Amino acid sequence: MKKLGRFLGRLLLAAAILAGLAIWYGTRLPGSPFDGLEAGPALPVETGEYAARVSDCVACHSTEHGPPFAGGLPMGTPLGTIHATNITPDPDYGIGTYTLADFDRAVRRGVAPDGRRLYPAMPYTSYAKLTDEDVAALYDYFMNHVKPVAQPNPQNDIPWPLSIRWPLEFWNLALAPTGTYQPDPAQDGMWNRGAYLVQAGGHCGACHTPRNAIMAEKGYDETAPEFLAGALLDGWYAPSLRGASGNGVGRWTEEELVSFLKRGRNRHAVVFGSMMEAFNNSTAFMTNEDLEAIAHYLKSLPRAPEPEWQYDGSTTAALAGGISADSRGAQVYLQKCSHCHGRDGKGRGEFVPPLAGASSVLAGPADSVVNITLNGAGRVVAGGVPDSYRMPPYRVTLSDRDIAAVATFVRQSWGNTGGPVTSEEVARLRAHTDPFSDAVILLQMR
Amino acid sequence: MSFTLNINGNEMEVDAAPETPLLWALRDHLGLTGTKFGCGIAQCGACTVHVDGVATRSCQFPVEAAVGSEITTIEGLDPQGGHVLQKVWTEMNVPQCGYCQSGMVMAVASLLKDIPEPTDADIDLYVDNICRCGTYPRVRAAIHRAAELMKA
Repeated sequence: MKKLGRFLGRLLLAAAILAGLAIWYGTRLPGSPFDGLEAGPALPVETGEYAARVSDCVACHSTEHGPPFAGGLPMGTPLGTIHATNITPDPDYGIGTYTLADFDRAVRRGVAPDGRRLYPAMPYTSYAKLTDEDVAALYDYFMNHVKPVAQPNPQNDIPWPLSIRWPLEFWNLALAPTGTYQPDPAQDGMWNRGAYLVQAGGHCGACHTPRNAIMAEKGYDETAPEFLAGALLDGWYAPSLRGASGNGVGRWTEEELVSFLKRGRNRHAVVFGSMMEAFNNSTAFMTNEDLEAIAHYLKSLPRAPEPEWQYDGSTTAALAGGISADSRGAQVYLQKCSHCHGRDGKGRGEFVPPLAGASSVLAGPADSVVNITLNGAGRVVAGGVPDSYRMPPYRVTLSDRDIAAVATFVRQSWGNTGGPVTSEEVARLRAHTDPFSDAVILLQMR
Repeated sequence: MSFTLNINGNEMEVDAAPETPLLWALRDHLGLTGTKFGCGIAQCGACTVHVDGVATRSCQFPVEAAVGSEITTIEGLDPQGGHVLQKVWTEMNVPQCGYCQSGMVMAVASLLKDIPEPTDADIDLYVDNICRCGTYPRVRAAIHRAAELMKA
């Protein structure tokens, strides 16, 4: 009896020591190359502003009509709702007291100055690859050029014990990349610049790379076959960006990719859904040289072979006179869609995108097709000018059944090979994207 | 930017931004005001013209995309007014205020070319133009009458 008691006591002690070590590990401050260093002299505003544009900080750290970078945007996660924080240089509510090393730890390691681990909704898993120069430029921009806003951060809505942060360090240990981007000596400078922009600041994988069961991206660079292979997020399907051939974005040339990222459109597509935000706040402001590097890198990613999409004109002929009374999808298409997208499904030049051969139409999940039909497109601003042609929402005018019918029709016409869409799928997205619901999906990670 | 359009069989130059709606190019740049502006969002059909023979709402058609296509407006349907639809429309007093009718006639012309003897269901599907005066019964009767005349 006495022996058992002593054994149990030792076990308890060992467990307590282990837990203590784990908590210590999960709350300690990791080192930064900037430790003990002062920030250098102020840089011209353009330097840091460009780095902040590339990293698209504003998209999450602002609300639609709120001051820039003051935070407050709610994000649904599987654990509960969290909020992007105030990253203006306000000393009380923002990051005004951060040293350069503190800032670096938050951006590249996901650790706040008090040792609290950030949720990986902050894409520090990508920002980990940012160079020291870009981190210093970002710090300079936020400290010297962003206006401080005294706006408190809203409370997150995650119940205890899930709200304990230190276990996230073990998630980091297992899954998050560390170290800045290392150029591949076998590739040229343009390729490496593109890879850096895509993997680090651009954090393209946050939406376009599928995630595993514990929400980590299945790969952070071109060595993983699932890197940028397309993923479902937030009620939108972010299509595969891989490939020099195949379907969807794979058929685009480098010039067409650049046009899409710079002007928001090309002959294949117009930005919409979450990509519209990335375009309006980030890619539209990048230099042509950087966008060409991104396109060059994306086209170098190998892609699994897939049947090539071929235009089939029989749908167009059928729409001119052979629509049977039971073809609800074709009827809805004719009356609601064809006036802009055309009976031939080819759209109208660069301003109204084609549905024939479109990547989101060909994709396995139909979420993007259903979502844009329900909710329409947002405002695309290219060169300071809002778009003249915009997809209207059909949430009110079309029933779940009608949207399912027309989405099925579009996914199976003009040679498209998407699967059918059910009324239940439409009903689910309708509920999830209801602007009058308090559970509407707002941004990443749900 | 300058665009060369083929309108009613003539080459016409338009100097406009590429996203300018075809309707604006027709009315404001070329003075072809027979085609009307209704809703501006491709819902009402007042702006219907033919693009390569297909009834098309010109208010949602960027001028850039019209290059290389044959465009027919109400002015080009039959410049002498001798098209069967123009005759029937006059004979049966179809228009009331008339604002929507050029679009209505263009939509019907396209329908009769594809489906020479349309049923009422075909008419509902293909001629969903909106008429504020409510001339729909007369439009429907005129379509059936025109189909008869064209058959003869």
